[in-house]
Amino acid sequence: MHDRKTQRVFGVATHLALVPLAIVTLIPFVWLVLAAFKTPEDFSGSLFLPRDDSGAIDLTRLTWMNFVSLFRDVGLGRAMLNSIFLSSMTAVLATLCAAAGGYALARFRFFGRNAMTLLVLGAIIIPPPLLLAPSYQLLFNLHLLDTFTGLILPAIAPAFGIFLFRQATRQSVPESLIEAARIDGASEVGIFVSIVLPLVRPMIGAFMLLTFLMVWNNFIGPQVVLQTAERYPLSVAVAQMRGLYRQDYGLLMAGTLVSILPVAGLFLLLQREFIQGLTSGAVKG
Amino acid sequence: MTTRHERIGALWTAALSPGAWVIALLAIGSGIAVLAMPVRDEPGLEVWIFAFEHGQMYEPVADEWTAETGTEVNVRVFGIPALARRVMGGFFSGIETADLIECERQMVGPMFAGPVESVGFTDLTERIEAEGLMGRINAPSFTPWMSRGRVFGLPHDVHPVLLGYRSDIVEAAGIDMSEIETWDDFQRVLRPLMADTDGDGRPDRYLLSFWENHLENLEVLLLQGGGSMFDMDGVCTLGSERNAEILAEVLSWCMGDDRFCTEINEWSNAGHMQTIEGYAIGYLMPDWMCGIWMRQMPQLEGTVKLMPLPAFEPGGRRTSVRGGSMMGIPKTTDQPDVAWELIRELYLSRDVARELYESNGIISPVTELWDDPMYDEPSAFFSGQAVGRAYIGEAPNVPPRPASPYYRSAQLRLQDAAVITGERARAAGMSTPEEILPLAREALADAQASIERQMARNVFIGEDE
Repeated sequence: MHDRKTQRVFGVATHLALVPLAIVTLIPFVWLVLAAFKTPEDFSGSLFLPRDDSGAIDLTRLTWMNFVSLFRDVGLGRAMLNSIFLSSMTAVLATLCAAAGGYALARFRFFGRNAMTLLVLGAIIIPPPLLLAPSYQLLFNLHLLDTFTGLILPAIAPAFGIFLFRQATRQSVPESLIEAARIDGASEVGIFVSIVLPLVRPMIGAFMLLTFLMVWNNFIGPQVVLQTAERYPLSVAVAQMRGLYRQDYGLLMAGTLVSILPVAGLFLLLQREFIQGLTSGAVKG
Repeated sequence: MTTRHERIGALWTAALSPGAWVIALLAIGSGIAVLAMPVRDEPGLEVWIFAFEHGQMYEPVADEWTAETGTEVNVRVFGIPALARRVMGGFFSGIETADLIECERQMVGPMFAGPVESVGFTDLTERIEAEGLMGRINAPSFTPWMSRGRVFGLPHDVHPVLLGYRSDIVEAAGIDMSEIETWDDFQRVLRPLMADTDGDGRPDRYLLSFWENHLENLEVLLLQGGGSMFDMDGVCTLGSERNAEILAEVLSWCMGDDRFCTEINEWSNAGHMQTIEGYAIGYLMPDWMCGIWMRQMPQLEGTVKLMPLPAFEPGGRRTSVRGGSMMGIPKTTDQPDVAWELIRELYLSRDVARELYESNGIISPVTELWDDPMYDEPSAFFSGQAVGRAYIGEAPNVPPRPASPYYRSAQLRLQDAAVITGERARAAGMSTPEEILPLAREALADAQASIERQMARNVFIGEDE
């Protein structure tokens, strides 16, 4: 009884301490949402909600025009489609390749396996911006600049993903099960598809979502590789809206909101799966 | 008994979680949609620029040019960092870039780092001289695009700086701005406006929006006062006595109880609100800033005026310069003559000059276009002043800005020197230019030494001299 009371008091105190922090965290987001609905005049004239000439809050001044202009004039719909395509396609292919690579490193015995594992580990510590210049030259030589392939291809075998799936396979896929399948005459591809993938399922969901988010937020890669405006993903298209002599902040904030909402929605929808995947194997049974 | 297909279906259902299915379905759906919406493949002259406003101006002229010549023009807009990366990557590795590239001033320094014959842009000196363009374009506007006496781009603008001030506040106080010739006059004449109305011991309004850490405005004032970061031979001059004098002078504006400067962010919502509320009276305004003010703060219409900058001493320079861009022809283009024709069309065109001014408040560097009546039209925002004419009046006097591969580094070292000097002066309770001068000398000498160490590592600079 006493413990429950202490627990409740502790819970209330924790929430009291966290609520102000949550408010502080949410203020910039609230500012962004309100700015997306303001005219340029109101953007400069008021910090949060627009005010009329007497200084009173005037909600009738909020407008949808920024969003209308975003899809009608700026053509952000195409950029959104490009973002969805790049993110989802990369996520699917990267997950498949990383799972296959991780499985091979975990369960196949071949010459140079340890060296290969070390190479994968070494690749994780190379900062991606360092690879930008050589990747650019490689893509130029392969005639893949200004193509979606030029963005997807270098991203489908991430070292981090391979290592993640290697660990997941080692923890979740017993060697004896694979041996048994081989004795039963299953092919290597069959074993991978029918045994390994279902057993690392939590990791698949988490890694897919993680890759999706990373590609969605990737700015430098598409900015450097793509040239044609019709191929720009949202991250680049929104950045392109920043003018040199004029900043339509309302439009910019509307673009930012549009670019974060789908991915935030997806994350909220799948967050349980994501956390499940990342924590699977955290406690070894 | 289950069929083979049912077993495979069950396996995939087992392998993929609902989240994975969502993403996989998105991949299939968006893939079909992307395939169904092909991207146009455009042949023709490739032009890379960094401002979509420029693209909007060039589009009609380029269309007309295409109709006349039959050569298509593809204008592509990139953010400045993206454009800089592509251009530098292309120049260093010999990868093809575009047929024409428009660059902002901050970008070009590193492009001039190697031997002059290895600069990625085509040397336009002969073409410019042969066509007499040196005389047709405002002379100081060429300097940022020159390296070791060669011109690598045609200037797009002049960007003179004037003083923008809140005429409503000044006139309500009965102050006559024509009394102001120097910065000393500026503080003396406007000082009554720095009232402490709420009694907290601090003024509720300052006279000038400037602070020592504002890199661009620091350079604006340095150039106005006759200082420089490099001379025309590319030698670093950061540690010059004139620079130290100007730095000490402008730092004194930000020091002590009598300081008359304050910092207002030029690009933020909060900064705009402070400007609207009249937190500062004066602003260092390049021509491009006029367009920004008109769009971002329409509430200020009729409350702002422009005048030449107060000089550092009687008879001194009344303007400065901030920003700038140019268009150059990369050496990798296979049609340099066609590219040159297009530059001429875009940069010397009266239509583009008109659009440049009407949309963005920017005056053309082409002197023969300065007689255009549009520059004399009164601006309602600027209380009926002929803004274009005011800027043109000072355009020939903008200070030269010699280009250097080390320009950006020097700019940052200048900022460091200003901040270090400012902090030391505050700690020692100094507030007059005479007191601050020795500290400024020392900090600028350190800054110059740092740049010279960098320059000494570049073997190509000595080779050309």
